[in-house]
Amino acid sequence: MTQLVVQGLRLEYPAARGGAPFLALSDVDLAVEKGEFVTIVGPSGCGKSTMLMLIAALLRPTRGAVSLNGQPVAAPGPDRALVFQDFALLPWRNVLKNVELGLEMQGVAAAKRTDIARKNIDMVGLRAFERHYPHQLSGGMRQRVGIARALSVDPEVLLMDEPFGALDAQIRQVMGSELLHIWERDRKTILFVTHDIDEAIYLADRIVVMSASPGRVVQQIKVDLPRPRGLSIRTSAKFNEYRETLWNLLEEQVRQSGSWARGEGGA
Amino acid sequence: MGAFVNPRWLVGSAAVAAFLVVWQIVGANEIIRSDLVSYPTEIAASARELAASGELGANALATLREFAEGFAPAIVVGVLLGLGFALSKIVRNLFEPLFVAMYTAPLIAFVPLLVVWFGVGSTSKSVTTFLAAVVPIAINTTTGVRETQESWIRACRAFGATRAQIVAKAILPGALPVVMAGLRLAVGRAIVGVVAAEMYVSTLGVGRLIQTYSTAGRAAEIFVLVGVVAGFGFVCVGLLRVLENRLAPWRARA
Amino acid sequence: MSERAQSLVLGVLGFALLIAAWEICARNGLVNPVVVSSPSRIAAAFARQWASGDLATDLATSAVEFAVGFGAAMVAGVAIGLAMGLNRFVEYAVDPFVWFVYASPLIAFYPLLIVWLGFGFATVVTVAFLLSFVSIAVNTLAGVHAVDPSHMRAVLAFGGGKRDLVFKVVLPASVPHILAGARIGLGRALHGVVLGEMFGSNDGLGYSITRYAAQLKTADVFVPLITLVVLGVAINQASGLLEARLLRWRA
Ligand SMILES: Nc1ncnc2c1ncn2[C@@H]1O[C@H](COP(=O)(O)OP(=O)(O)OP(=O)(O)O)[C@@H](O)[C@H]1O
Ligand SMILES: [Mg+2]
Repeated sequence: MTQLVVQGLRLEYPAARGGAPFLALSDVDLAVEKGEFVTIVGPSGCGKSTMLMLIAALLRPTRGAVSLNGQPVAAPGPDRALVFQDFALLPWRNVLKNVELGLEMQGVAAAKRTDIARKNIDMVGLRAFERHYPHQLSGGMRQRVGIARALSVDPEVLLMDEPFGALDAQIRQVMGSELLHIWERDRKTILFVTHDIDEAIYLADRIVVMSASPGRVVQQIKVDLPRPRGLSIRTSAKFNEYRETLWNLLEEQVRQSGSWARGEGGA
Repeated sequence: MGAFVNPRWLVGSAAVAAFLVVWQIVGANEIIRSDLVSYPTEIAASARELAASGELGANALATLREFAEGFAPAIVVGVLLGLGFALSKIVRNLFEPLFVAMYTAPLIAFVPLLVVWFGVGSTSKSVTTFLAAVVPIAINTTTGVRETQESWIRACRAFGATRAQIVAKAILPGALPVVMAGLRLAVGRAIVGVVAAEMYVSTLGVGRLIQTYSTAGRAAEIFVLVGVVAGFGFVCVGLLRVLENRLAPWRARA
Repeated sequence: MSERAQSLVLGVLGFALLIAAWEICARNGLVNPVVVSSPSRIAAAFARQWASGDLATDLATSAVEFAVGFGAAMVAGVAIGLAMGLNRFVEYAVDPFVWFVYASPLIAFYPLLIVWLGFGFATVVTVAFLLSFVSIAVNTLAGVHAVDPSHMRAVLAFGGGKRDLVFKVVLPASVPHILAGARIGLGRALHGVVLGEMFGSNDGLGYSITRYAAQLKTADVFVPLITLVVLGVAINQASGLLEARLLRWRA
């Protein structure tokens, strides 16, 4: 069943003083099945974060629309939870309180809030740190707080903006397979932005490749790898094929935009 | 390194001690008229006397009350006004110039007028305190709110926060450290304001006491009272720092 | 309408609203016009004090006291701040005294000042000086502490001596801090002038405020009071502009 539909989405950022408006996304179309795991790749600055913010309704589209379960999306809500690229944690709240944020907005009672938050903090492996403040955590730990916060509101769609971007390669793989576990259990719909080609393949049912700025969808690749996937799948021949296809597609886009994202796009 | 005494502390207290010794010699031997400069042992004796007679206690309490009655509403009004300035461009443009004028003007100049309006009693002192404090609190609240980061607000909005929730959960806590700095500024201004207002005209209070002993030409008592006022300032600022560390521990190395 | 023009219009409107509301309340007896006064009465008092020359005399007196007090504070403040910044022992020794002067209600000592310096000019200037020099000294000290050691090494490497260090590196590099201190010092010096005049003088704007207040001439009180407020704003604006000009190199 199609759950999330993005139709003719276009976004212009308002002009800075004296300049022209900046076109960040032009005519993005996308349909996501319920329970599907979609990864999104594209050159840096092509509008991936912008697209997630539009789906979360933190931004209003210049044209086009987003709908969830057939209903147009107008305001942010707990049915879609965003894991921010820049964490967006509140520095005066400790880990537990940060994770509770979304639940507070929903008016969940304090005791229940703490329960739910603790469960999710456990899940991302931060049990020992629930009293720590963001400035006492590493980048990777902060990002895991963001993930726990999003999971806590039990959303239908999880929007993840490079959630593993601040992790080192090893933890990144472990967190990836952790995420797959969670997903295989709950079957939430996930939109997952990444710069890491291997990660995009390993996690996805389908990979969306975006063009250089202004962003469009240039290609969608179905990933037919058996699940559950172990870490060893990354060395299989099929995986290698996907890797090559994706690499070529991205290289073309990046060549057009003339900028390679932070030098970490490669596998 | 071993257990060296902090040189700042060592040199500082040595300098203060030397100063006290010279002061004692100069004053006690009437090298300079002691009714003008007094000397440490005389000051200590006066302090004991003032405290024992209950004169200091009663007057200090009166000043403290005036201070509290002006400062508490100044916090509430200052924060609300500051929020208004920061969140509404119209409110800001309408009233901020008035506030900036109040901030740069010497507050003490308003005291005679306030006495005409509110009488020689404690009300005019509380109003002075209020005016001295409300302006830095409002201005700092505005600054603090303007410095809140977009990502904090974004995080709240993403989870469906209402406008009130955004103010309560992102804007106010984010602005808190700057507001606290405003409170520290306000304490300094308000203390000087209330004491000067009492010196100008009053029936009770530390400033009244200072004025009494001034006219009597008693330097020793004046030093005691100045010390009391300065000490009160230190205690207030210290308390605010403790409070800030409790309320905003996240600031440590943010 | 541009943003600037809009804020200007609204700012003027804010003042105008306040004045209009005040006048209306006074005319309708909502407030006692004798005690509270009213804009029209204040305007009349302004004209009166201007015509008699009282206002000009007060203003001139206060301005001279302010200039002398602040000027002395500037010189002493920078000198003390530099001395503290260049020598740790001086810093540690002077520090407690600086903080005492900063934290105490200095005006309490005015009777002593009057005995030493007499009623009037010298006492007022001294109060202004005492209130103002500390913030300049403290900021100068902070400026010296903030000097980039690599700049000092550069001067030393080319054979410069201690003098060169002070005049070619430390002082110029501390200018932003010194100016910030001066700006605070300006406000405090004006405050000091008013305090000094209220308690230790028979001249100037501060004294006139107390005299008119004692006679319950509220409208007349507002004349020197408003003059002081305008003076405060003008000094602050002027110093802001000067600061911006002097610090253009900071980009
Ligand atoms: N608030 C804004 N105002 C103006 N332009 C913006 C704004 N936010 C983003 N942009 C521009 O829009 C484009 C898309 O930004 P976006 O953050 O969505 O890219 P991205 O694909 O997420 O990049 P990255 O991979 O580096 O995270 C960029 O060129 C960026 O400069
Ligand atoms: Mg992004």
